[in-house]
Amino acid sequence: MVETKKNVRYIINIENTGETYESADGEHLLVGMVKLGRKGIPSGCHGGGCGVCKIKVKNGKYRKLTLSREHVSKEEESQGFSLACRTIPESDIRLSAVGQFKKVVTKSYGFV
Amino acid sequence: MGVMRIGHISIRVLDMDAALKHYENVLGLTRTHEDSEGNVYLKCWDEWDKYSLVLNESEKAGMNHIAYKVENDSDLDVFKQRIADYGVDVEEVAGGYLECTGRALKLNLPSGHEFYLYAEKEFVGKAVGVTNPDPWPDGVKGAAVHWLDHALLICELDPEKGINKVAENVKFLQDALDFYLGEQVMVGPDGDIIAAAWMFRSSTPHDIAFVGGERMGFHHCAFFLDEWNDVLKAADIMAKNRVKIDVTPQRHGITRGYTIYFFDPSGNRNETFAGLGYLAQPDMPVITWTEDELWRGIFYHTGEEAGQFTDVYT
Repeated sequence: MVETKKNVRYIINIENTGETYESADGEHLLVGMVKLGRKGIPSGCHGGGCGVCKIKVKNGKYRKLTLSREHVSKEEESQGFSLACRTIPESDIRLSAVGQFKKVVTKSYGFV
Repeated sequence: MGVMRIGHISIRVLDMDAALKHYENVLGLTRTHEDSEGNVYLKCWDEWDKYSLVLNESEKAGMNHIAYKVENDSDLDVFKQRIADYGVDVEEVAGGYLECTGRALKLNLPSGHEFYLYAEKEFVGKAVGVTNPDPWPDGVKGAAVHWLDHALLICELDPEKGINKVAENVKFLQDALDFYLGEQVMVGPDGDIIAAAWMFRSSTPHDIAFVGGERMGFHHCAFFLDEWNDVLKAADIMAKNRVKIDVTPQRHGITRGYTIYFFDPSGNRNETFAGLGYLAQPDMPVITWTEDELWRGIFYHTGEEAGQFTDVYT
């Protein structure tokens, strides 16, 4: 029999878009979202460097991997701000996505 | 006389061990030096100078500086004068200021990016040597990239405020450092605003590139592979190693290169770039991409914007 991982799964609720998805234990918040083709949190570098997946956790337990201070200061971190790609849930999570892509329609000059 | 090629890039990483696993095991660079501050220096197998990549552990990702190698030591005196005459501040730093490197000129491009010119760096040699060499060495890990090929820097662009650091960089590199413009993207109602530029000194389509964005930043550094099959294999290696791929193998319209974009563990974007593209020469006419076809230029097959491509950078 093929062994499959029977991980605990947590419910992730993105407050500002109303979306909900399941995230596996031990994986950062974007892994499950992207794997399921879901949206709601902008998905960028997945390394804590670019900052587009900035979130504010409203409720729930999580641990964090190293992230760039360019995008989340220590003070913000203490207020619940984080980057989704550096946040590993340890319970169900309710959050709002803070980082946003600039909408293409607002780009008047090619890239900006 | 003149700038020969990209010499090295110094980038910031959030976790040195994770970065080394990526650049050594996935891309196949080898460690050649570590300085007293713990910065690690690496080279690719087909390069002969001591290093082309510097990893600096930091609490922020991004680029510290980029350096280009000039042909003769005396070129530095000429460029120092020309850069000053152009109106850009330039400082000469002594040998050793950059590890294992001779005296250098230190300046900031008009976009703000820290930039060096140097003439000498400690010699190590290619992994295959120079006497009756094999075409490739044994034992190189991962994608076995040949050399650091180019970098793309994001430059502030806000035409309504009259800010265009892409244009300023292009003019500076043309006038003061004799770079040539290979390709450009022109935007705006009259198509007269340069929003991106690919510039060369070697015979490949670009040794440095600039794309306009909201703030100064580091978009990617690219490592060379021979051809399309190497690109496919590199993508396999990335998938095996669970590297976050940004853009799967495909062709650029601009430069005609075969590409993969992906991220290092700190979110700095890398590229493996394959193919000659075309022979770039000083008298080659400049290639222009218009705003309505600019995404065809970047991703030739789909011709579509990938939203994360220009908005995600460190």
